[in-house]
Amino acid sequence: MQMMQGNIWISLNPLGFAQGMTLVLWFQIRPSYGRAIFAPGTSSEQPNSNSQFRGLSVILADDDHVNRTVTKKLLEKLGCEVTAVSSGFECLSALSSAENSFMLVVLDLQMPEMDGFEVATRIRKFRSCNWPLIIAVTASAEDNVWERCLQMGMNGVIRKPVLLQAMEDELRRVLQRAGEGL
Amino acid sequence: MDLLNQLQRQYTDFTTLLYQEGFVDDQFTQLQKLQDESSPDFVVEVVSLFFEDCEKLVNNMAKALEQQGVDFKQVDSHVHQLKGSSSSIGAARIKNVCIAFKTFCEAQNREGCLRCLQQVNHEHTQLKTNLQSLFTLERQIVANGGSIPGMQ
Repeated sequence: MQMMQGNIWISLNPLGFAQGMTLVLWFQIRPSYGRAIFAPGTSSEQPNSNSQFRGLSVILADDDHVNRTVTKKLLEKLGCEVTAVSSGFECLSALSSAENSFMLVVLDLQMPEMDGFEVATRIRKFRSCNWPLIIAVTASAEDNVWERCLQMGMNGVIRKPVLLQAMEDELRRVLQRAGEGL
Repeated sequence: MDLLNQLQRQYTDFTTLLYQEGFVDDQFTQLQKLQDESSPDFVVEVVSLFFEDCEKLVNNMAKALEQQGVDFKQVDSHVHQLKGSSSSIGAARIKNVCIAFKTFCEAQNREGCLRCLQQVNHEHTQLKTNLQSLFTLERQIVANGGSIPGMQ
């Protein structure tokens, strides 16, 4: 497992599935947050929560303009680099583009045309590994939503309206779980 | 009490009132917390966006409800969207009207829907006026060299 400039995600993420296993190595100067994320039980402090997610590239899919704007800002506040799209189609298209390498997808479940469940299914279908991570955002209070999300291969769920603390906690949890799986 | 203190006091009192009367809720506080030097007008921008969307949705709902055969699913989807966006910016009263509105859509009750639509309009106008006053106070405080109570 290679750690290129602390950006370990890329080495696990085979892109360009059409051409087989093509590893894209990003030589970018990024602070090595890898260690901070994989350190177990670091839920105590984090007064400057920005630093632990800095450089995390996220694609946010939500069809509502207001929600998209608020959630994007929230993720940026946590240090993420966010690309916001307004549909499942745009999301899939951004993910399959070879130049992009997203580590996380934050997905509104209730989108018209293609809902979050379908987007997640398609993402998992075309990627042989568990990347990118997927966090669903839902207004639903139903218990089985989490189960359904897990079945679709998602990694986390957040209830709407999204709170800064809730997003931070879920991001941390999802990233730690991902780290443990390696 | 000098002008700045007066303004800040007014701001605090007004904000307290807005929360007490349920015009805004914690989600609005959250919105204010997201504002920072990199986006100093974030709250105003998002709120403006919301009011624009709200108007569009209300127009769409009105048109749908005017039809001979009302497509309640269509109305419901507009209400659902408004409920979502009002909830995310903390526009509590509008969100609450939407909750009631949804049940009328599900019951296919045109009269109930029209009443809710009227209420949405009313709440929209009230909130817009209130927030405009709030933002004006903020500008005045900043113009007088002060900082806005409770914000970064």
